[in-house]
Amino acid sequence: MPETIEKVSIQLKVNGKSHSVSVEPRTLLVELLREHLDLTGTHVGCDTTYCGACTVLMNGAAVKSCTMFAVQADGAEITTVEGLEKDGQLHPIQRAFGDAYGLQCGYCTPGFMLSAMQLLAHNQQPSDHDIRKAIAGNTCRCTGYQNIFKAIQLAAQNMKGAR
Amino acid sequence: MSNLTRGLDRLYIRPKTLDEAAVLLAGEGGQVLSGGTDFYPALGDQLPRGRVVDISGLRELRGISADAAHTRIGGLTTWSEIIGAPLPRGFDGLKSAAREVGSVQIQNRGTVAGNLCNASPAADGVPPLLALDAEVELVSRVGKRRLPLADFIVGNRKTVRRNDELLTAVLVPRRLDDAASAFLKLGARRYLVISISMVAAVVQLDGSGRVAEVHVAVGSCSVTARRLSKLERDLIGAPVSGLATRVTPEYLSPLSPIDDVRATARYRLDASLTLVQRALNYCVGNS
Repeated sequence: MPETIEKVSIQLKVNGKSHSVSVEPRTLLVELLREHLDLTGTHVGCDTTYCGACTVLMNGAAVKSCTMFAVQADGAEITTVEGLEKDGQLHPIQRAFGDAYGLQCGYCTPGFMLSAMQLLAHNQQPSDHDIRKAIAGNTCRCTGYQNIFKAIQLAAQNMKGAR
Repeated sequence: MSNLTRGLDRLYIRPKTLDEAAVLLAGEGGQVLSGGTDFYPALGDQLPRGRVVDISGLRELRGISADAAHTRIGGLTTWSEIIGAPLPRGFDGLKSAAREVGSVQIQNRGTVAGNLCNASPAADGVPPLLALDAEVELVSRVGKRRLPLADFIVGNRKTVRRNDELLTAVLVPRRLDDAASAFLKLGARRYLVISISMVAAVVQLDGSGRVAEVHVAVGSCSVTARRLSKLERDLIGAPVSGLATRVTPEYLSPLSPIDDVRATARYRLDASLTLVQRALNYCVGNS
């Protein structure tokens, strides 16, 4: 390995804000978010692409930020949990997770909410199977999933009502 | 001096065109990165070996198109794109498999070329593409070659891709556009699971409702997914009724499953027999 690792300049938008940053190629997207941009709402659970706590949206599609290199997000728009609320108002998905008790310790919750975001952006009336499929890549060790499932159902109803 | 020069080499390069990528790979070479879903996890606690050539910016390798003879799936097509694409009926099995690749997050990033080049014995994309008689296109600086997928993957995480080559596309013959197809996967649970066995089937009926052509591929039961050639030959001309009952255990002899943490070899064979029967039933029930 070379002594000095060259940095790569990338530009990306995170939660609507443009950033120009210089990162080592080995920097993971989640490290860029948490350690360079101080957006610590995105969590690292397993670091092996299994658990989904690190899920963010990249150009609207859910991805695991602990597996992706930050350089691969060059030119992309990223949404993290910090980008869900608007003007101090929680997003309907965030409210539903509270109202339906869709969390206990909360560690996995940002990832679940962003997986729900991708689902509900494309599917206003998800079936039970659609919801289970959408969160199959997210692991929770507290809730037993039933209330997470209910929270996403509730969010779907509320978002439909709001349209 | 040479150490100093090496020290200044770029560890990460993202070529913009296929030509540029081919030149880079023909020169110093490097590890190819596309969706990257299994790149970082596979490193464990190691650093990447040498340079990384990120091909995710190559537009030439994206998208699905068709000419008279083939449907062409660009190597960088993601599994989510396969699920969302308007493809003929013969691809229903491939779409089912696409929905089983990891989870949504993995389907959004993982590519067809990555799944094939990674060559895991449990790669969900391989049995349906084998059953579709798919070919792969490989491009290097010195030229282009095409070979059957069945000859491309030769072992556990082993392919015949040379280090200077990229898998640019998968080609599926249009002849099977109207065939019925299915993909069934057995794991220890419903979602996000590595297969114990998986089966892809493609069935083309003739005008009188008999089997004109049938392809069956089984994955996770050998170092590479395998077609059941004798079964395929013996089923030609068979009537739809009772088709699945013609599949007897002897036809699974091309498989060589292992005992591992997920299942015993015996269980794998037994489960595969049932999956083959179900996949054929599914195909002819919908024909």
